[in-house]
Amino acid sequence: MRGNRVFPMPTDATQNAQNSMAEKRWLNALAQGDPQALGHLYELYGERIFRYCYRMLGNRSDAEDATADTFLRVLRRSAELRADGAFRTWLFRIARNLCIDKLRQHRLMELPPDAQYSGGEDKATLRITVQQALAELPVEYREPLVLCDLEDMAAREAAEVLKISVPALKSRLYRGRKALREKLGGTMERIQ
Amino acid sequence: MNERDFYTKLVDLYAGRELGKELEEDLLAYAEKDPALKQDMESLRSTVDVLRNQGGVDFTEESYQRVLMKIYSQGVEFEPRRQAPSYLQYHLPLQG
Repeated sequence: MRGNRVFPMPTDATQNAQNSMAEKRWLNALAQGDPQALGHLYELYGERIFRYCYRMLGNRSDAEDATADTFLRVLRRSAELRADGAFRTWLFRIARNLCIDKLRQHRLMELPPDAQYSGGEDKATLRITVQQALAELPVEYREPLVLCDLEDMAAREAAEVLKISVPALKSRLYRGRKALREKLGGTMERIQ
Repeated sequence: MNERDFYTKLVDLYAGRELGKELEEDLLAYAEKDPALKQDMESLRSTVDVLRNQGGVDFTEESYQRVLMKIYSQGVEFEPRRQAPSYLQYHLPLQG
């Protein structure tokens, strides 16, 4: 019967626990100046940070720059690292600050986002429409939508990233959703 | 706070699917008598659904490698866990 033993598939909880332990190990190594640890953290968080930056900035090139700068800043500030579960919040906060800086530059230079909306509601166009509508929202509304509705971050953690209270986050989230609905206007009516 | 104000305050929770089952049923029952509220609830929920069903932004192999290159260009060296695919590797021109 031994040969028939079935090994359980790792669950999300198991995977999260493993990632958390690995994260602590790499943060300790990074704090001691081991750059290899940065590579591991990039493997673990690179995609999420890139997605967040892309949604904040609206174009791939800037999102790549902001992602790289986020990890470089982690390395430069590794003395401040704390392996107590707050790393992810800290990482998103760094990415957020870099995105805000880039958005200010965009405002000065009037750079357009990657995709331009030209009507029609098939799946790809809808994605572009939503991305464009999101990009047109004020940053204080866009941020909670990206963190909570797109990145599926809990309200408490999103509030920590944005350095605001949970009620303030929920209020911005509500206003952001309403503002997005206004922007999507006719598109939403056609979907319904 | 009157009844309508109370239910209006629940619209965002309804849209985000964060409302308990019992309260959601109460809200839906109330909204049957209030078309404006019902329209508000449905359109906001559709907006949130569309947003949540956006799908992931593709973190392509090219983006992954370009971010690595930007990090390396600042003098930080580490072994990537994934090697660059051959089509992304830079080949020096042959001399001679």
